[in-house]
Amino acid sequence: MALPIRLGVVARRRRGPRAGEGWWALLFLAPTLIGLALLSAGPILASLGISLTDWDLLTPPQFVGVDNFVSLAGEDRFLVALRNTAFYTLLSVPIGMVLALALALALNQPLRGIALIRTAYFLPVVTSATAVGLVWSWIYSPASGLLNEVIGVVGLPPQRWISDPFWAMPSIIAMSVWQGLGINVIVFLAGLQAIPQEYYDAAAVDGAARWSRLRHVTLPLLTPSIFFTGILSLIGAFQIFDQVYILARPGRPTEATITLVYFIYESGFKFFRMGEAAAASWILFLIVAVLTVIYFRSQNRWVHYQ
Amino acid sequence: MTAGPVTTTPAAQVAAVSLAERGSGRPLPARRAVMRRSRRIVLYSVLIVGGVLMMIPFLWMVITSLKTRAEVFGAAPLSLPSGAHWENYVTMWNALPGVTFGTFFLNSLKLALLNTGGQLVTCSMAAYAFAAIPFRGRGPLFGLLLATLIIPSQVVLVPNFILWRSLPNPFSESGSFYGTQEPLWVGAWLGGAFGTFLLRQFFLAIPAELADAARVDGANPWQIFTRIYLPLAKPALATLAIFTFMWTWNDLLNPLIYLQRLDQYTTTVGLAFFQGQYVGKWPEMMAGAMVSLAPMIILFVVAQQYFVRGIALSGLKG
Repeated sequence: MALPIRLGVVARRRRGPRAGEGWWALLFLAPTLIGLALLSAGPILASLGISLTDWDLLTPPQFVGVDNFVSLAGEDRFLVALRNTAFYTLLSVPIGMVLALALALALNQPLRGIALIRTAYFLPVVTSATAVGLVWSWIYSPASGLLNEVIGVVGLPPQRWISDPFWAMPSIIAMSVWQGLGINVIVFLAGLQAIPQEYYDAAAVDGAARWSRLRHVTLPLLTPSIFFTGILSLIGAFQIFDQVYILARPGRPTEATITLVYFIYESGFKFFRMGEAAAASWILFLIVAVLTVIYFRSQNRWVHYQ
Repeated sequence: MTAGPVTTTPAAQVAAVSLAERGSGRPLPARRAVMRRSRRIVLYSVLIVGGVLMMIPFLWMVITSLKTRAEVFGAAPLSLPSGAHWENYVTMWNALPGVTFGTFFLNSLKLALLNTGGQLVTCSMAAYAFAAIPFRGRGPLFGLLLATLIIPSQVVLVPNFILWRSLPNPFSESGSFYGTQEPLWVGAWLGGAFGTFLLRQFFLAIPAELADAARVDGANPWQIFTRIYLPLAKPALATLAIFTFMWTWNDLLNPLIYLQRLDQYTTTVGLAFFQGQYVGKWPEMMAGAMVSLAPMIILFVVAQQYFVRGIALSGLKG
């Protein structure tokens, strides 16, 4: 008897114009709930289960405990993929952010024709890494490629770029920075335009010079945008795949170019080692999760919210 | 100035004028204007040079796609082609056995439209529930959905592949959904964290009084959703549509995993396959890249404001 009374109290307290609409929510959410169970939240757990098995899809899965994780820790190609991904992230994220910040500061001026100039910086963002990857593989081509022709003009010797172990990853980074620059510029521009003019007026009253205004007004107030692009660039960088597939695949990515997601693709969908691929994808997830937590913890120290 | 000190000698006059000018501060704005103008010229130059550098890969793609192979390897790299060799586009279009590039193009278009439609319908429904219908467990459920947004999509690659591969499908050669296009669009009709989040933010800004008024007139939630919320959310829906279209059109990894036959390929896998077959044939390859990029470039030029707003809101590219 106690339960209906309590429910009645809750219902009475909630009785507004929208009381009794709760079951409509189920209707509106039905596709999302099915998707969550079958294609996102469910599979994330399933992936953990699969990572504990040896499964080639032809014979039934064998439970092997943490063997996949142990063998990955000793597998050269996986460790190289980890190192390359870390190298790619460490270079592409800071370079991309600093360039984007400088560009956003410049593009934020009320210049005539600025919209057209901005378009040039934004355009690469919407293009597929596959198609522009083909263009860049032609730019990097040792035979008549644009880059060798250009550096030849200033007397530098031609390089093999993608097939040179030293230049391979920097070449991929250059293309990625070029392609992703516009995203960060747009976020920074939105951040810059959200800074109230009063702060600059106050700084002008105090006699702050241009550099000092940048250092003490603009940059501190832009830290939320910097934080935001930082985390998204970081997560994105760990998932690099398309550029490697197009630029480095003819043949097979070498020790110099294989990345974590390429390793997952190869192990799962070339060699059908489902357990190993799932384990590698969980390692990717854990690395990204740990970095995200550390990054979020750091925000008290340097991010200023207005 | 007229009230300047009374002097007699020319030298003293000059000194007085320059003193008075310095005192009145008149040349300072003039100098500042010169500085501002020169700074502006430097800024313009840097931005324009940078912008041209950003466009060079595209320019080179277009130029190469119109050259003969002899010109590509002989002439100076940025020289113009001897004439527009459109035959590269024809060669590229018919390069692969049994299919034309048009097949890839239509496959990409079909998948992009199916994904866009699915996301618009199901994300807006979910967003309405999260924004406007109070129900028990709303907070935790929304939190769970958001959590899936920050987990790398590669984590679900293996289990989803196994799921599609084990679902029976009497209409395909494999007997399952492996080697069909269904895994590349059905999921879009089952909601999505990004779209739901984006639209919910927009719906929350719609005043509840509008819905309350409709409710008094006897409208049910579905009618409020379709007649009040959706029409008001057109800018957000456009943003979601453009992003979903772009993500599907540009996706490489998923088509690579699921598609088995050439006639199912999208432009991205088609181009990658083409790359393997046409090593060193740059004019034809650049023509292919050009054709596959054209729809996104046109869409961007037409709808730049929605792209910019979407990125500014989410920072996401995909």
